[in-house]
Amino acid sequence: MSVQAPVLEALTILIAEDSAADLLLLSTIVRRQGHQVLTATNGAEAVEVFTRERPHLVLMDALMPVMDGFEAARRIKQLAGEALVPLIFLTSLRESEALAQCLDAGGDDFLAKPYNPVILAAKINAMDRLRRLQATVLQQRDLIAKHHEYLLHEQRVAKAVFDKVAHSGCINAAPNIRYLQSPYALFNGDLLLAAYTPSGDMHVLLGDFTGHGLPAAVGAMPLAEVFYGMTAKGYGLAQTLREMNAKLKRILPADMFCCATLLCLSTQRRAVEVWNGGMPEGYVHEVATGKRTPLMSRHLPLGVLSAEQFDDRTEVWPVALGDRVFLLSDGVLDTADANEQLFGAERLLQVFAANREPDRLFEDIEQALAAFRGQVRDDISMVEITLQAGQSLRATGPLYADSGQSCPLDWSVSFEFRADTLKRYDPLPYLLQLLLEIHGLREQSGALYSVMAELYSNALEHGVLGLDSRLKRDAEGFAQYYRLRNERLTHLDTGFVRVHVQVVPTDTGGTLSLRVEDSGQGFDVERVLARPPDIDRLSGRGLSLVRQLSSAVGWSDGGRSVCVEFCWKALA
Amino acid sequence: MSVEKKVSMDGKTLTIAIKGRFDFSSHQDFRNVYEGVYPKPEMVVVDLKETTYMDSSALGMLLLLRDHAGGDKAYIRVVNSSSDVRKILAISNFDKLFDIE
Amino acid sequence: MIDVHMDPQVLAGLQEVMEGEYPRLLDTFLHDSEERVKALRTARGDTQALRQIAHSFKGSSGNLGAVRLALLCQRLEMASAGDIGGLVDQIDREFAVVRAMYEGELRRVFVG
Repeated sequence: MSVQAPVLEALTILIAEDSAADLLLLSTIVRRQGHQVLTATNGAEAVEVFTRERPHLVLMDALMPVMDGFEAARRIKQLAGEALVPLIFLTSLRESEALAQCLDAGGDDFLAKPYNPVILAAKINAMDRLRRLQATVLQQRDLIAKHHEYLLHEQRVAKAVFDKVAHSGCINAAPNIRYLQSPYALFNGDLLLAAYTPSGDMHVLLGDFTGHGLPAAVGAMPLAEVFYGMTAKGYGLAQTLREMNAKLKRILPADMFCCATLLCLSTQRRAVEVWNGGMPEGYVHEVATGKRTPLMSRHLPLGVLSAEQFDDRTEVWPVALGDRVFLLSDGVLDTADANEQLFGAERLLQVFAANREPDRLFEDIEQALAAFRGQVRDDISMVEITLQAGQSLRATGPLYADSGQSCPLDWSVSFEFRADTLKRYDPLPYLLQLLLEIHGLREQSGALYSVMAELYSNALEHGVLGLDSRLKRDAEGFAQYYRLRNERLTHLDTGFVRVHVQVVPTDTGGTLSLRVEDSGQGFDVERVLARPPDIDRLSGRGLSLVRQLSSAVGWSDGGRSVCVEFCWKALA
Repeated sequence: MSVEKKVSMDGKTLTIAIKGRFDFSSHQDFRNVYEGVYPKPEMVVVDLKETTYMDSSALGMLLLLRDHAGGDKAYIRVVNSSSDVRKILAISNFDKLFDIE
Repeated sequence: MIDVHMDPQVLAGLQEVMEGEYPRLLDTFLHDSEERVKALRTARGDTQALRQIAHSFKGSSGNLGAVRLALLCQRLEMASAGDIGGLVDQIDREFAVVRAMYEGELRRVFVG
């Protein structure tokens, strides 16, 4: 009887036993084994002592007066809650039914009379190990729950901050955008931004950062800043892409990047310009013919290539009013079924083909995904933009804080942009910023930018590059036009565009004269102006727009020089 | 998932074979395989013959490898990719950075 | 074994475990058992009560090495109504023997 299992740690053990001799014997054995002993002589007393002292382990006689061991065991287990308080029944019961009753009441083990101190010590130690294991599991569970809650809190805060930035654009305000994004798509690395340019075009970006969680979300903020800042200032896709790529390349680690589709949808030009680096194919949907043109990924994602190697070439597609552009994240195509088969582009095209109500396309896709997989994934992003008429021109520039006292009112300036500059530099944002120093013009910044943009691209494309606008009459010619534009611009080594700005104060306010000259062949002004406006819109020089938005338009020098005027009233 | 390496007899070519899923869980193993090789090999071959799946973090790992192997001067071949894997590499236009067979 | 009133091996073990508390254990057992025998007599008509007392009594007798007493208690626990009276009488007589022997053991410990 001297052989005893070593005691791990002193425990407090409650012994409930109605026989005085057994109680004395057992408490002496347990105490000798190094534990502290609490005693009770019936079930009710045991429950009371347990409630008061919270012992680590209970030795319980099955048959006792007042309250038997079964009932006491049930109550003690209930009081113990999630913590494991091992309960060993002391019994001379032999029948299996009675033993089963002990287990049903919550007993963890038995000790048969007459007692064997060696077996008792071993059982106490074994039960203590279980008790500790359970305590550790509970502790770790609580810790994980706490961390999880903390993480969710961080995500909520990050999302709230990010939503303010992301929704500073027109994603929710524009009537022609529909989108579907999982609530925490940001933490799947998905990013959806939209904003108007000063001339009323719409820029849309759907991006997908590598990875998940906060690391995937951190790059979103700088990307959104560049997107909104440069779009509002009138920068085109190429410059905006270059800036985004350079910024991501600089701040992200080598293994992180952002797949993205950036597009510019122009109601004015009836065109969509697209750059896709690493995103699944989006589609331009021609409503009239039902044709869907895929917007293929032609580039490496943003943040991979150095500034020198980055390729900002875009593709331009013609669109008509009512046509739709659809973009999606890889979560849609990568939705897998039970056999790890991917949903894929083929099935998406089948959904397109079966779609009867264009406004229910998202629902159709979601249903198809759910049917395929059994449930919808929580990391899908889809966006659809419809080309709508009459997007009003608006001043989207930053708010100005200065009083106007220092506003320049009597000055002129001239620029000459030569071949090498025309190739790589877009002077419009710079010119617009300069002109918006004049407070009286700020209300008209949208119109001003649109007119400048038309005149500049006319001078460059039809003048310097000698492109014939009639090419753009059909879709094939449209593509041909932009191919030629890129080609000729790349090989340009002579030519210029000049911009003269003249600002004069008047009695009531002031006048801006803007003259744009080019080194091209000129054109037959009379004949072009005589064309019906409908043709002009798709294939012409946007001249009706220019005439509509500025107070006076005049050509000279055989169409090589054009002058427009803007007037404003003095501020009160 | 497992990552195995083989260095050619002349020490000039390092071959890395990825078996099973090539995703974030193989991040550390993948790095360990090429970071421990001296002198640096002239060419790295990534063998995807037994790769069943690949996600965008695997693309990130390939970029890390390229960075380690000399960035724009690195010559890295990606061989034996399945059609699914090749689709992923194609959408990301990784053929502009890697020699994909 | 059926004839063992007091198992000396069990008692040796108990003495080792209990050390100085050994006499108190014997004393407690005797006192407790006396109460239980009395209770058996008063509960003669109540089978349920008799069984419960017998069950407890069996446990402590077994622990203390009173082998025959424990055995009789076990029989009583399982007995049909007709046998109960005879068994209670047997337990009564057996306890008289057990008491004498354990009191002798107590004296031995104190003298020893």
